[in-house]
Amino acid sequence: MLEIRNLTKRYGPVTALDDASFTASPGRLVGFLGPNGAGKTTTMRCVFGLAVPDAGQTRWDGKEIDAEARLRFGYMPEQRGLYPRMRVGDQLSYFAQHHGLSAKDARTRAGSWLERFGLADRAKSKLEDLSHGNQQRVQLATALVHDPVLLVLDEPFSGLDPLGISTMSEVLRERATAGVGVVFSSHQLDLVEEVCEDVVIISRGRVVAAGGIDDLKTASGRRHLEVEVAGTGGAWLDGWNHHTVLDRDGDRVKLLVDEGVDLGALLAAAHAAGEVRRFSYEPPRLSELFMEAVTEPQPAAATGTR
Amino acid sequence: MNRVRAVRLVAMREIVERGRSKGYVASLLFTVFLLVAGFVLPSVFLGNPEATRLALIGEPPPGLEPALLLSAAAYDTELELSSVPDRATADTTLRDKTIDAALDVPADLSGPGELIVLEDASATLQGIVSQTVIALRAGANALPPAITALEPPSAEDITAIIFANAGIILMFIGIFSYGSWVLTGVVEEKQSRVVEVILATVRPRDLLMGKVLGIGLLALAQLTVLVLAGIAFAQLSGRLTLPPTTAGAVIQLLGWFILGFAFYSTAMGFLGALASRTEEASNASMPVTMVATLAYILSIVFVTQEPDGILARVMTFLPPSAPMVVPLRAALGAIEPWETAVSVVLMLVAIWVLFGVGARVYSGAVLQMGGRIRLRDAWRASR
Repeated sequence: MLEIRNLTKRYGPVTALDDASFTASPGRLVGFLGPNGAGKTTTMRCVFGLAVPDAGQTRWDGKEIDAEARLRFGYMPEQRGLYPRMRVGDQLSYFAQHHGLSAKDARTRAGSWLERFGLADRAKSKLEDLSHGNQQRVQLATALVHDPVLLVLDEPFSGLDPLGISTMSEVLRERATAGVGVVFSSHQLDLVEEVCEDVVIISRGRVVAAGGIDDLKTASGRRHLEVEVAGTGGAWLDGWNHHTVLDRDGDRVKLLVDEGVDLGALLAAAHAAGEVRRFSYEPPRLSELFMEAVTEPQPAAATGTR
Repeated sequence: MNRVRAVRLVAMREIVERGRSKGYVASLLFTVFLLVAGFVLPSVFLGNPEATRLALIGEPPPGLEPALLLSAAAYDTELELSSVPDRATADTTLRDKTIDAALDVPADLSGPGELIVLEDASATLQGIVSQTVIALRAGANALPPAITALEPPSAEDITAIIFANAGIILMFIGIFSYGSWVLTGVVEEKQSRVVEVILATVRPRDLLMGKVLGIGLLALAQLTVLVLAGIAFAQLSGRLTLPPTTAGAVIQLLGWFILGFAFYSTAMGFLGALASRTEEASNASMPVTMVATLAYILSIVFVTQEPDGILARVMTFLPPSAPMVVPLRAALGAIEPWETAVSVVLMLVAIWVLFGVGARVYSGAVLQMGGRIRLRDAWRASR
C-alpha cells in the first residue's frame, strides 16, 4: 500500500503541497485529480525522490520509501521523455536494467512488451522514427518493463487517440488485477469515473476528497433528478422548493436536489401534471463532485481514505 | 552494489550509443587522416623550398661544384655554393647560421670526406652530397662522406618537443570536444525530459559520474589511437626516432588527459544542467571554456618559452592549468618530480571537490525547467 503522509513542499513563496495525505491500495485503480498546479506532479515526484518534501513521508508497505523500494516502482512522468536517437529495444532494456534486471532478463522483457504493443518489428528502430502513438506505447512499456509493484503515471491518457486510450486502460486494469498499485493523474474525469475504483482530489496542495468513487457519490448530499412530463414545459415544478434547476429543455427538466427530498411526493406531482416519460434519480457525476470539491472556498479536508 | 551498477550502466550506454554514432567513427578517422597527412604528405610532395647554403672547405676536387649542382637539380633542390678557407671558419659560419652545411672533400679524392652540419643534415642534402662524391670517386670504395653534427640534438629532445606540442594540442582538443559531449549530453537529457525517468532510480551524482566516465573512456580510446597512429606513421615515414622514454611520455600524456578531462567535463556537466535547452548550453559553460582557453594560450605562449619560469611553476599547481602545463614541462625536461607529485595530488583533490559541488548543483538544477537556472538557486534547491 502506498501511503502519502502529511506531505508539505514549498518552492520559495509557493506552497505546492500543504499537509497532503492519502493512501492507494494495490489492486485498485486510483485516479489522482486536481486542477493544474494543485500538487499532483509534486506528490509523484516526492514518491520517486525527485523532489524532497519539507515535511511528511511517503511510505510503501509500511516502510519509508527508499532507493531500494523505488527499483520496484514504475514511473511515467507528465513530460514524456526517452532518448530520441536510441533504439527502442535497447532503450527498454536499459531502463529495465536500471531497475535491477540482468541484461539477459531485461532484453527478454523488453522484447515481450514490444510484442504486446505490436512493436516487435520496431525494436531496432530509433525512437524518433516511430509515430507519436507508438512513442507513447514505448513510454508506457518503459514504466512496465521491470514488472513493478507500484505504477505511478502522470497524465497517461493525455494526447492518446481512442485506440490508445483503450489500450492504456486495458493495461492499467490488467496490472491492477494482478495486484499492482496503480495511481494516475488525469483531467479526463469521465474516463476516470469509468476506469477507476478510487479517486484522490487535491486542490491547492491539500487533499479535499479521497476514497471510492461510489462511496464519495453516496456520501454527497446531492442527487440529480431528471424528469420529463409530456406537454407541460416543466410548469408543474412551480410549486416546489428545495431544488436547483440545472437545465430546462422543453418538457424535460434537470434538477439538483438534496438527498432527503420526498421523491414520492415529487413523482406524484409530476404524475398529476401529465404523462411521466422519464423520472431518473442519480448521484452526481464525478465531474460534479470534483467541481464541488475544488471550488469550495474553505476546503474541509475530507480525508476519507481507503 | 546498486550505485556502482548504475554508474556502469550509464557509462556503458554512453559508450555504446556514442561509439556507434557516425560522428565518433568519422571524427576518429578524420583526425587520423589529418595526423597522417601532417607527417607524411610534406615529405612526399614538398621539396626543400629554400636553397641550401653549402660551403666547400679549402681546395675542392675538380668537377665537384658542377657535379653537386647537377645532382641538386635532379633532387629538384637549389644549392647555393660558397667556399671557406678551413674547418674552423666553417664551424664559425655554421654556428652563426650563415651557411647550412659545409663539405670537406680531399682535393685528390683520396677519401670520401666529411659533411659538417650544425644540428642534422636533411635527407635531401645527404642524398645529393653522397651521390656526387660516390660518383666522383668512381672505382674507389663507394663510401659516402661522414656526417658530423656540431650540436647534435638527441633523439629524446626531438621526440620531447614533438610530444610537448602535439600533446598539448591533443589535450586541448580532446578536453573540448569530449567535454562538450558531456555538456550537450546533460542538456539533451534534460530537454528530452528523459532525465526524470532515469532519476526515478538513479542518483543524480551517479548519472553525472557515469556520463563523465563513459565519454571519458571514449575520449581516451580516441586519444590513444591518435597517439599510436601518430607514432606509427612517424616511424614509417622516418621522420622520428623513438627514444626509450617514449612509453613514459605517452603514459604521462594519457594520465594527464584523464585528470584534465575529469576536471573539465565535470564542470561542463553541471553547468550544462543549468541550461534548459541545447541553445543555452554553450552560454552556460562559458566560464569553463574561458578558463581552459586561457590556460591553453598561456601554456603555449609562455610555458614553452620558459618552462621553468615563475608562471610555469605557478600554473603547475593550479588545477585548471596543470593538465596542460605539467606534461609540457615534463616533455621539455623542466619539472622536478616533487612538482609533478604535488600537482597530481592537488588535481585529485580539486576533482573530488568539484565533483561534490558539481553533483549537488546538478541535482538541484537538472529537474528544473524553464530558462537559465542560477547557480545559487540550484545549490539551494538540492539537499
